[in-house]
Amino acid sequence: MSNPDDPRASDPQDPEELRFHFTPSDEPTPEHETDNPHAKATTRVPDVIEALRDEFGDAVLEVERYANEDTVYVEKQKIRPICRFLKAQGFDYFADLGGIDNFTEEDRYEVFYNLVSTERQKRIRLKIRVDEEDMRVPSVVEVYRAANWNEREAYDMFGFTFVDHPDPRRMYMPEDFDYHPLRKEFPQLGVPGSLPLPPQTPDGELTMDPFAAAHGSKPVKSYEEPDTDSDSE
Amino acid sequence: MAQPQKPNFPGHDLGDQFRFWPKHNEKIYERLESKHAWLEEKQAAAQGDGEPPATQKSELDPLENEMVLNIGPQHPATHGVLRCVVKLDGETIEKSVLDIGYLHRGIEKLAEHKTYQEFMPYTDRMDYLSPYSNNVAWCLAVEKLAGIEVPERAQWIRMIMSELARISSHCLWLGVGMMDAGAVSGFVWTFQEREEIYSIMDEVAGARFTVSHSRIGGVSTDFSPRAIEMIRDFVDKFPDRVEGWEGLLNKNRIWIERNKGVGRVTKEEALELGLTGPNLRGSGVPYDIRRFEPYLKYDEVDFTIPVREEGDCLARYFLRLDEMKQSVRIIEQCLDRMTEGPIRADDAKQAYPSKDEVYYSMEGMIHDFMYTDVGTVPPKGAHSYHAIEAPKGELGFYLTSDGTGRPWRVRINAPSFTNLQAMEYMMEGSLVADTVVIIGSLDPVMGEADK
Repeated sequence: MSNPDDPRASDPQDPEELRFHFTPSDEPTPEHETDNPHAKATTRVPDVIEALRDEFGDAVLEVERYANEDTVYVEKQKIRPICRFLKAQGFDYFADLGGIDNFTEEDRYEVFYNLVSTERQKRIRLKIRVDEEDMRVPSVVEVYRAANWNEREAYDMFGFTFVDHPDPRRMYMPEDFDYHPLRKEFPQLGVPGSLPLPPQTPDGELTMDPFAAAHGSKPVKSYEEPDTDSDSE
Repeated sequence: MAQPQKPNFPGHDLGDQFRFWPKHNEKIYERLESKHAWLEEKQAAAQGDGEPPATQKSELDPLENEMVLNIGPQHPATHGVLRCVVKLDGETIEKSVLDIGYLHRGIEKLAEHKTYQEFMPYTDRMDYLSPYSNNVAWCLAVEKLAGIEVPERAQWIRMIMSELARISSHCLWLGVGMMDAGAVSGFVWTFQEREEIYSIMDEVAGARFTVSHSRIGGVSTDFSPRAIEMIRDFVDKFPDRVEGWEGLLNKNRIWIERNKGVGRVTKEEALELGLTGPNLRGSGVPYDIRRFEPYLKYDEVDFTIPVREEGDCLARYFLRLDEMKQSVRIIEQCLDRMTEGPIRADDAKQAYPSKDEVYYSMEGMIHDFMYTDVGTVPPKGAHSYHAIEAPKGELGFYLTSDGTGRPWRVRINAPSFTNLQAMEYMMEGSLVADTVVIIGSLDPVMGEADK
C-alpha cells in the first residue's frame, strides 16, 4: 500500500480493480454486548467480577462482554487461586475447558474455563493468555477434578503443559503421535507417516498415510484388482 | 519408515500383540500401575491394623487373583469403541483406565474449514442416537453468535423434534440397557418405538437417521399435515408403551438386583466429577439447561425436571423413564400452542431463502448462492457459548468468529465425554460384571465423546 492513510487509494503498481477485496465483518458494536435474541440472564455476573477485583486486584486483566456473556481475562499464574476462590463463591460445577489458537505473534494461545454455579444460577467464563514461548499453564485439577480430561484434551490438541497435572497423557491421539492437531499450522489431512495404522492386507506393512491419494501417491488396496488387459481380450 | 520398537511392558509378556502405537499402550499400562486408586488408599489407611502394605500385596497373592483385563475397544457391551483397561483383584475392579479416541475424527478441526451451515451434517454424526438435538444445539449456538432471531413456528418445531430425539435416545438406552442385563427381547420392543420416530423424522425431514433438518435461522421444511398426525398418534400411545415397560421391569427381580446400588455416586461426587444430564440429576442435583437458562420456548411450557437422590443405576433408570413421560407432555403442549407463520428468518444474510424464491426470482437465486458460498458472518472477534439439554446432558458449543463465514474455533462441550470421565472413577471398586450395567446406565456415545 502506497498511502497508509487511505488503504483503498489506487496505486499504479497495484491497481485497485485487480485487488482482491476481502472485507471481513465489522467489529462488534456496543449493542452486540447485551442485545441478542438468545441472551440469557445467567451469563451476567457483575458482582462476582467485583469480588474477583477486590480479592485479586491486578490479576484480573479485563472484562469482555458479548451477547450478554461476561468473559474475564485473568493472569495465567493466578488461575488456580482464582478458581479456588470462585469455587468457594459457589461455582461448584466445572462445565468446560479448552484452548484457542489465535495465531498471533504475542500471546498466541488462550485457555478458557467455563464455570457454573448451580445454586446461584450463574455462569462465568475465565480466560488466560498463553505465549508460544512458555506453554506452561497451572493445572486446576486439584480444585476441579472434572478438569482432568479436559486438560488432557487441551494438551493433546494444542500442546499446553499443565503443571502438576496428575495424568499428563494425550486424550484422543496415541502417545506415538508428535503433533498437536488443532494448532492452526497443522494441515487438515494430517502429516503422512505420523500415525501408523493397521495394515490394509493381512501380511502387509503398517499404513502410514490414510489419505495417500490426496497426497499424490497410490493407496494400498486390501484386495487384488483384476488384470484389466486380460479382461478386454 | 523404521519399524516401531517392540514395546516393553514391565511385568507383562504381551509378545507381538501391539504392532503399532507401542508407546501409547505402554503409557496406559504405566498409568494403570501408578494410579492411586481408593482401594490402595484404604489399605494404606488400614496398615496400622496389621494389614499388609499395598506394595507387598502382589507378593502375597498365591492364588494369582490379580489380573489385567482389556475390555474393548471392539466389544458389544462398550456401546461403541470404548476401551477399558482394568486391574482386577478376583472379580473386583481395583483400578481402571479408560482409553478413548478410537472414533476421533477431529470435527473441531474440520469445522474451521467449513461455513457455519456446511458443518451441520457433522453434528448429526456426533451423538448419532439423537441427531436432531445436535442440529438444534449447533443452530442456536451460531444464532447466538451472529444475533439471528428465529421465527416462533420454527422454535416450536425444533422443540417438538428435539423432544422426540430425546425419547428416541432414551429408547435405545433402555433397549441396550435391558440387553446388557440379560433381557435380549427388550431391545426389539424399544426399537419398535424408535422405528416410529424414524418414520416421523422421515416424514418431517426426508431422512430417517441423520436428519440435518434444522437450519441456521429456522428449519428446512414445515410440518406436513401427515407429520402432525403421526406425531399426535405417537404421543397418544407412547405413555402406554412406557407403562408396559415399567410393568415388565419395575418389579423384575433380575433387573432390580442388577441395577440397585450399582455405580453409586453421591451428590457431592457427581458435581465434583462433572457428571451431566440424567446422570447428574440421578444423584440429586437439579441441573437441567431447560430450567437453568431456558432456550427456545421451554420457559413457556409446563413440565417437571425429574430428580432422584439415590445416584445408582436404578435411580437413573427411573429418572430416564420419567423424562420420557415429561417429553411427551412437552410435545403435546407444543402441538397445541404452535402458531402458523414463517419457518425461517426473512433475511438473506441470516438464513436461506425459500425454494420458491430461489427458483422463481433472480435475487432469491443470488441469495441462495451467496449463503452457500459465504453464509452467516458474525462480527469479528465475537465469541459466545450456547448450551442445550441434549438427551445425554449439557451439549454446548463455544464459538469464536474471525469475521468471516467460517468459524475460527469451535469448541464442543460433549456430554458423553464428561460422563465417561466420571465412569473411570465409578468403575473402581465395582465388579467386572457390573461394568456392563454401569456403561449402559451412563449412556455414553462414542461419536460424541471422541469428537
